[in-house]
Amino acid sequence: MTGTTATRPARSPVRHGHRARRSRRVVIALLALLLIAAVATLTLGRLGIPLSELPAALLTGSTGKTAFVLERLRGPRLLAAAGVGAALGLAGALFQTVTRNPLGSPDMVGLASGAGAGVALCTLFAPAVPAPVGAVAGGAIALAVVWLATGRGFSSPGRVLVAGIAVTAMAAAVTQYAVSVVLRDQGSQLAAYLVGSLNSTGVTDVAVIALTLALVVPAAALLRHRIAVLELGDDVADGLGAASGRTRTAAIVVSLVAASGAVAVAGPISFVALTAPPIARMLVGRSGANLAVSAIAGALIVVLADLAVQQVGVLSGLPVGVLTAAVGGGYLGVLLVSRLRRGRL
Amino acid sequence: MTVTADARRTRPTSLRGIVLAAAAAALVVVAVVSLFAGSKATGVADVLTALGGGGDAFTREVVAARIPRTVLGMLVGGALAVAGVIVQGVTRNPLGDPGLLGVTVGASAAVVTAVALFDATGGALVLAALPGALLAALLVVAIGARSRGMVTLILAGAALSAVLGAYIQAMTLLQPKVFDSFRHWVVGSLAGRGLDTAAQVAPLLVLGFVLAIVLAPGLNSLALGEDVAAAQGVHVQRVRWGGIGAAALLCAAATAAVGPIAFVGLAVPHVARALVGPDHRWQLPAALLLGAGMLLAADIVARVIARPGELMVGIVTAFVGAPFLLVAVRRGKALS
Repeated sequence: MTGTTATRPARSPVRHGHRARRSRRVVIALLALLLIAAVATLTLGRLGIPLSELPAALLTGSTGKTAFVLERLRGPRLLAAAGVGAALGLAGALFQTVTRNPLGSPDMVGLASGAGAGVALCTLFAPAVPAPVGAVAGGAIALAVVWLATGRGFSSPGRVLVAGIAVTAMAAAVTQYAVSVVLRDQGSQLAAYLVGSLNSTGVTDVAVIALTLALVVPAAALLRHRIAVLELGDDVADGLGAASGRTRTAAIVVSLVAASGAVAVAGPISFVALTAPPIARMLVGRSGANLAVSAIAGALIVVLADLAVQQVGVLSGLPVGVLTAAVGGGYLGVLLVSRLRRGRL
Repeated sequence: MTVTADARRTRPTSLRGIVLAAAAAALVVVAVVSLFAGSKATGVADVLTALGGGGDAFTREVVAARIPRTVLGMLVGGALAVAGVIVQGVTRNPLGDPGLLGVTVGASAAVVTAVALFDATGGALVLAALPGALLAALLVVAIGARSRGMVTLILAGAALSAVLGAYIQAMTLLQPKVFDSFRHWVVGSLAGRGLDTAAQVAPLLVLGFVLAIVLAPGLNSLALGEDVAAAQGVHVQRVRWGGIGAAALLCAAATAAVGPIAFVGLAVPHVARALVGPDHRWQLPAALLLGAGMLLAADIVARVIARPGELMVGIVTAFVGAPFLLVAVRRGKALS
């Protein structure tokens, strides 16, 4: 990370030309969709702010019911959903690119399950500790175990994933134990949190995820050229001065910080980090990290999913994580079938 | 590593025989201990009197409850370990786990449905879980069999797990009674299961074991690679899907009987391989004995570790199996 021009990796030629223009168009289209979803989130339903009043409420402030809905209820939830989705999309893109595993995501290194176990243990032994604190502590412990177990940090993807399986299993055992021995209502609440939910997000949550993004977005931007070079293979990357081991470790750390912020706010929402990057790749039509598109796609997924659990009758009251898991699993199935058809498996 | 691998290959039959005999002896010891140990401390003399039909009624009850538990523990442990050997052999993936066939989520989804629709409890849950597990495995295998490689199979298992997982979550979150049953079922436990449960799943277990033994020579050839196996006159696809079928039967029966139990199917095959070498004709019986002994030992630990209460055996196996995996990662065995 010397930063001199001599060691700075060369820009990849595919970044230029019509691909770059397509990428820009995709970003604009996704942002437009995100805006529509956001407006829908604020305006639909019994408590929705009428569309005609929305611009005035946003620009000049509001009072009464509108202010309550905008500033306390739907507004923070919308921002948290978008922030969490963006963090997860970014985390997934970084993780999948540097581990060269299209099915990789920060969940696989035990972050989400560690977070769940942390919350579960807090429920059992320290009810005074707020859930997000337990979640981040649990996630951090899980990551620390993985880090130590691999013997060489996060630089070896295969080892990281296997150690992640082991840590996930232990964390899941702790969580299941806690859920099975606490009182039913308490267990039910715990189970809902463990799926990932935005049902009770407030202004603090928005601040947490905003802070997370303020940390990880610049870091990812700094890393993006080195990551692009990493895709040419470790030897090439080393030759071009993008020290592959350090770049990989740095990218994974950034990815995990992003995912931890999301976990702290919403609990472990599954499948967003996994699906956003391939969606981005498909839309842009280009291999590579596609960090920005991935983040926006992640935000759009979570905002849409949260809109659905707020407004669609059958789903109402369910945590948003149930929906992302169902849709994500379905996506995985579709991916599988389409690959089978094309004979690529 | 190469030196030890060669040494393993040339390990004499007599030594492997001794290992098997030792494993069998250890299993007997563990099984006996299993009758004596529990969350209620019982003296040796008390247990012997109770087994003879004497002593006070309560101790007799306690000891009588330990017998089916011991039998079931041995059956399930052996089944999971043998399934693990087969899956790891067929997929040629040292981290293969019978759970990747979708058996666990299939059984879970069926249990959730049975509770939601029929208020099922106890033995009815076993009857519900069994077809659920088999159906899920069948679906995964049917999708997986459409391509020659094993990647499709693994992906199909992952996709099914995710979809059924979401279904399970939704059901448990929407219906408190489902949640209440499921949260106890999903932590695999040998407590409170009777000999009738063992009898319910025994036919499938026997079928699975027999299939596994028949396929052992084929699995040996498959371990050398598909081309070599085909050149040796082995019907690769028949061995592969027969093996997957046997593993699915064993794992489905085990999961239906006692709920999901992690890591026995993953870890025991490695121990078996380290002790008797790569030959499946030795690995399978070794895994059977070791798996039975280990699950039973884990259950004994679960019974005594939290006196006067007890833990569930699934928790103990996770905390024994996972560190084993971490050590394997640390040593860099079979991993880059």
